[in-house]
Amino acid sequence: MIGAKREGRTGLIATGLCWIILCGVGVLVDDWLLAQVAIYLCYGIFAMGLSLIWGQAGILSFGQAIFFGAGAYGFAVATLDMLPGTGTGILTGLVFAVGLATVLAWALAWLTFAGRGLSGAHFAIVTLCAAAVVEIAVTRSGFLGGYNGLFGVAPFTWGGEMIAERPMYYIMLGVAFAVFLGVTAIVRSPYGTVLEAIRDDENRVAHLGYETRRLKTVAFVIAGALSGLSGALFAAQFGFVSPSLLGFALSTQVLIWVAVGGRAVPLAAMVGALVVSGAENTLSNTLGDLWLLVIGVIFVVVVIAAKNGLFGTLFRLPPPKRLRKT
Amino acid sequence: MHVTGVEAPAPLLKVDGLAKRFGGVVALSDVSFELEEASIHTILGPNGCGKTTLFNVIDGSLRPTAGRVEFAGQRIDGMTAARIARLGIARKFQVPGVFGELSVAQNLETALACHGGRYGVGALLRVRPDAVRRDELADLCGLSAKLQVRVSELAHGEKQRLEIAMLLAGDVRLLMLDEPTAGMSVTETEAVAALVRQLRDERGLTVLIVEHDLHFVRSLAEPVLVANEGRIIARGDYETLRHDPRVIRSYLGEGADA
Ligand SMILES: Nc1ncnc2c1ncn2[C@@H]1O[C@H](COP(=O)(O)OP(=O)(O)O)[C@@H](O)[C@H]1O
Ligand SMILES: [Mg+2]
Repeated sequence: MIGAKREGRTGLIATGLCWIILCGVGVLVDDWLLAQVAIYLCYGIFAMGLSLIWGQAGILSFGQAIFFGAGAYGFAVATLDMLPGTGTGILTGLVFAVGLATVLAWALAWLTFAGRGLSGAHFAIVTLCAAAVVEIAVTRSGFLGGYNGLFGVAPFTWGGEMIAERPMYYIMLGVAFAVFLGVTAIVRSPYGTVLEAIRDDENRVAHLGYETRRLKTVAFVIAGALSGLSGALFAAQFGFVSPSLLGFALSTQVLIWVAVGGRAVPLAAMVGALVVSGAENTLSNTLGDLWLLVIGVIFVVVVIAAKNGLFGTLFRLPPPKRLRKT
Repeated sequence: MHVTGVEAPAPLLKVDGLAKRFGGVVALSDVSFELEEASIHTILGPNGCGKTTLFNVIDGSLRPTAGRVEFAGQRIDGMTAARIARLGIARKFQVPGVFGELSVAQNLETALACHGGRYGVGALLRVRPDAVRRDELADLCGLSAKLQVRVSELAHGEKQRLEIAMLLAGDVRLLMLDEPTAGMSVTETEAVAALVRQLRDERGLTVLIVEHDLHFVRSLAEPVLVANEGRIIARGDYETLRHDPRVIRSYLGEGADA
């Protein structure tokens, strides 16, 4: 028990250090690299959403990029004034992007969790197909720019001026921190406990009196909304959106980030996204196709041998007070 | 006697003409019986005679092919398992239905959190389950010192006791136990029989038990329903039924006194 306590304290310290280091990065790193890391933070937010449904509730979705892409396209379409009545405001764009992703996530949950719901493997396959279908549909849509996507998505501005790399980085870090706090609060609440129980044995949870379909739907919608938010933030920084943002490839990538980082711990999932996408960027140049082999091997090893991923144990927080011995 | 139920008030559970078929397999056919409040009944019957299926139909895991189930005067067949559970029917599974990846404290929290109708997400995000009640339940299953232990690391008997404690977290009126003493020693078996009687006497619970262990049935000394091939073929107390030729033929004959 003393050991468990220590472990929890280490997790708390590591979590604090991680955020301090991320703050420090904003001072120590040059603008070009900082812009990269800000993009990785979008992926980090995306990953935390997936960790909520996959790590906590055991819902393995191969279609999370649908919601990331919906956020990115939603933001682009709204701010490029392609829709009547949205104007070009950043805030309207964000609200529209998150709203679109939320509605899509709710619709997919409504379809797939209906009745007795799809089993784990079937759900994975259905979401995978959904991602492929959405990617193809967007590729064929003239309105959405087809294969080329949409260019000239407006960056964040302040007083009419584009926000520079450094403040932009801190904005992203702030959003990521807020999402971290939110997801962590959910995971540590009794709702989080029940989601974990659903991961273990959904049928048994239903027999205790819970409407598991509703509980899963809410988690799925929250994850979808976070994906939409991260997609919108990505579009604003990247400046253009393309069909690859909502397809099969990105859906798989986020699963790899989360698995490698540690799916049951939100911060571990986020750091997984930062580290793997950072490594990919630097190593794929030097290693070429070998990189795919490297990440593939790491993924397989983690899935088989380390359920907590590379950082799950490091960032594991002590259990909430109410679950400790009285 | 419980059998006729003529003088008794309205029964807590009423099963009427229940049938369940799986393709060609008839798991239940025309099962009817009533349980009055605060009674204990054991269902005895050979393997595969439909005992677990009967539980599945009552608790909403399966829909019956025909017939109806009433609980406290309300028709419940066709309701979801969650809704039936909230009405006060708690069921213990044959394989311990505890959450192995969760700690004992988390298992108890899951059982407690939906207590009092607060089973929606909003309530679950805010509610702080009753710690006093949690500790009582931990005491009941003798796991107070193991609150933070992962349940998969517990002994089989501990899991069984934890599951029973979890079933008692809510406002239970009917407790259904599917082979609760499987894999238990004689002492543990007797402890379960004592607990069941205590729950009936102190909390007025109605209990329906599927059991193979004749020692348990005898030490419980409560009425028995004998099932065979999807039917209830006899009802009464064990010592009388032991000598009933139909019962001996179908089941008890195979070593009733062993
Ligand atoms: N879900 C199911 N699908 C098909 N057949 C089933 C199912 N559940 C039970 N059965 C069949 O119904 C019969 C009764 O099974 P069960 O209720 O488990 O018996 P018991 O609990 O008395 O041993 C058996 O023949 C079994 O094979
Ligand atoms: Mg059985």
